[in-house]
Amino acid sequence: MTVTRVPANLYTAVQRRRNRGLTGLYLVVAAFLVVYAILFPGLFTIGGFSKFTQNWFPLALVTMAQALMMLNGGISLAIGPLVSLGAVIAAVTMGGPLGVLGGLLAVSAAGLFIGAATGGIVAYLRLPAIIVTLAGSFIITGIALLLLPRPGGYIPDWFSDLLAGHTPVAFGLLVLFLIGWKVYLATPLGIGIYAAGNNPVGAYRSGVPVERVKVFAFALSGLLAALAGLFVAAQTGSGDPVIGTPFTLNSIAGAVLGGVAFLGGRGTMRGVICGSLLLSVMINVMFFLGFPPVAQYVAQGLIIVGAVAVPQLTSQWRAKP
Amino acid sequence: MKFLGSMRHRSLMVSAGVVAMLAAGSGTASAAANCIKGDREAPYTIGWANIYSVPTWMKQTEGTIAAEVERLKKEGLVDELMITDAQGNAQTQIQHIQSMIDADVDAVIVIAGSSNALDRVISDACDKGIAVVNFDSLVNTDKVTAKINTDSSEWGASAAQWMVDQLGGEGKVIVMNGPAGISVSDDRRKGAQPVLDANPGIEILTETNTEYNVAPAQEAMTSLLFANPEIDGVLSLGGALSAGSILAFDRQGREQVPTTGENARQFLELWNEKGLKGWATMQPNWLGALSVYTAVQALEGKDVPAFVKVPLPVISDDTIDSYLARAEQFPADGYIYSDYDRALFDELLAQ
Repeated sequence: MTVTRVPANLYTAVQRRRNRGLTGLYLVVAAFLVVYAILFPGLFTIGGFSKFTQNWFPLALVTMAQALMMLNGGISLAIGPLVSLGAVIAAVTMGGPLGVLGGLLAVSAAGLFIGAATGGIVAYLRLPAIIVTLAGSFIITGIALLLLPRPGGYIPDWFSDLLAGHTPVAFGLLVLFLIGWKVYLATPLGIGIYAAGNNPVGAYRSGVPVERVKVFAFALSGLLAALAGLFVAAQTGSGDPVIGTPFTLNSIAGAVLGGVAFLGGRGTMRGVICGSLLLSVMINVMFFLGFPPVAQYVAQGLIIVGAVAVPQLTSQWRAKP
Repeated sequence: MKFLGSMRHRSLMVSAGVVAMLAAGSGTASAAANCIKGDREAPYTIGWANIYSVPTWMKQTEGTIAAEVERLKKEGLVDELMITDAQGNAQTQIQHIQSMIDADVDAVIVIAGSSNALDRVISDACDKGIAVVNFDSLVNTDKVTAKINTDSSEWGASAAQWMVDQLGGEGKVIVMNGPAGISVSDDRRKGAQPVLDANPGIEILTETNTEYNVAPAQEAMTSLLFANPEIDGVLSLGGALSAGSILAFDRQGREQVPTTGENARQFLELWNEKGLKGWATMQPNWLGALSVYTAVQALEGKDVPAFVKVPLPVISDDTIDSYLARAEQFPADGYIYSDYDRALFDELLAQ
């Protein structure tokens, strides 16, 4: 029938299908942002916007890191410890002779290396990612505590002010990371993530280098988590060997909220970004609404279940004849 | 202003405060407290940025904060208390304090989830003229209105000294500590060491490191009782640990020995019931109430000390009855803290 028109519309058609399950999440996030803006009009000032996005930024990065792992069909329990390690390496090296650039390189190298090593073990030894990263989380936590037993270290003030001052540099970086993700998806290794995660055998037979795809995705995931740690160090002006711990669970929550499937191969970064944004803006909205802390626990759980369940229910309705 | 050096910024703030006070004609106060610019007026909004609200000690502490706020409300000095709970996540605590700055509260009361992580956001609050009072678990930065705490090292030293006196300088002792690597547990233990060094007649049989809960402490002590037929004293450096120890002695049918501890209700009741020689001190929950009071005093233009050292209240065999008489007012797994009033607060702030 309209076969000739399909190629032209394939991209939009695919994107529309990928967005469908996320409509509920988009609406919920938009509603929360509107409520937040009404409660706190200062959000529209540069300073207010900067501070808000700075508190969201590290969560966005770790959620992206977790999503990369989940697209591969695995879950990482080492995200939080990697954030701590990134923060510790930054705080230990930036005061040294290599300065900020040296610290940045050291953190990136550590993230890439740990990610790639984990990926190598998972891909070539065929071990489940959850086990490897569980073991890795103990090792990484130990290294972070060895490097910096108590909170401390040094981050230059100008660097803290640059990343976490009164300008929206962090938001700009997030946009850059997202553009980078789009570019990566245009490469064979990038597109291979979805293929290998969704159907590894099929992907292998179609010539996708499944193992190499995994190692690269794990390395990028490690890089993102370590950079989140670098940012946390800049934001707090110091390193703390256990500050990342809560990020592990939050990154999983954000990714699941964003529609990433546990079994791999399904999910979008835009959903992931929205999922992490919801987790972050929720905290601020509940504060301004004056929720007592106990009610916040309950509300948080209800919002998460709601945002995941609503699209599921609507799609079931739609599927009924 | 934001781009000036911090030193210059601070001196500007101080002079602004002085000018404001001169304009108000208040000649009594010598200088405004740190962070205070003098541009805020009663009734004030107080933000209480808690790190973790679930433990009983925290609930009781929040109780004293709420009670003090009620009182200040009646006096027309406070109109609202905002409470947050970071659920143990220092990053969330930063976000909460940022929200308090955005909501333009007049004072932030905080127990820090990390000694370093809050430094920058707390400095920001201070720059905005918000009174920041930090108690119990302290931050590094000095850009706060006041820090309020007891001395953990003194805690350990006093407990050890009491044990030495009880045993006449001779005896075998087991030391019970909180978790390893926790600063309060380390500091108390370190404080005890010089006293133990000075009394070589006291032999440390062994030490335990457990959570500050009854069950793990009882379990640890039970196995130590099998291994050590002769124990003359238990130097316990945390409340529920002592209760676990006494229960272990009791189950084994061993005679109770002199035991130190904290003001946990369970420990005080067992101490009384078993008729042993005991000694306890406390991290008073009313540090929370004192922090609110301090913040409001500072906002009212009074000078408050940058560090308020609260002396450790001591419970002994002579005074335990006065504590147990009030036991019903406290939760069964809670802490019976010493009495407090405004006079005590004023005295502490006059240091």
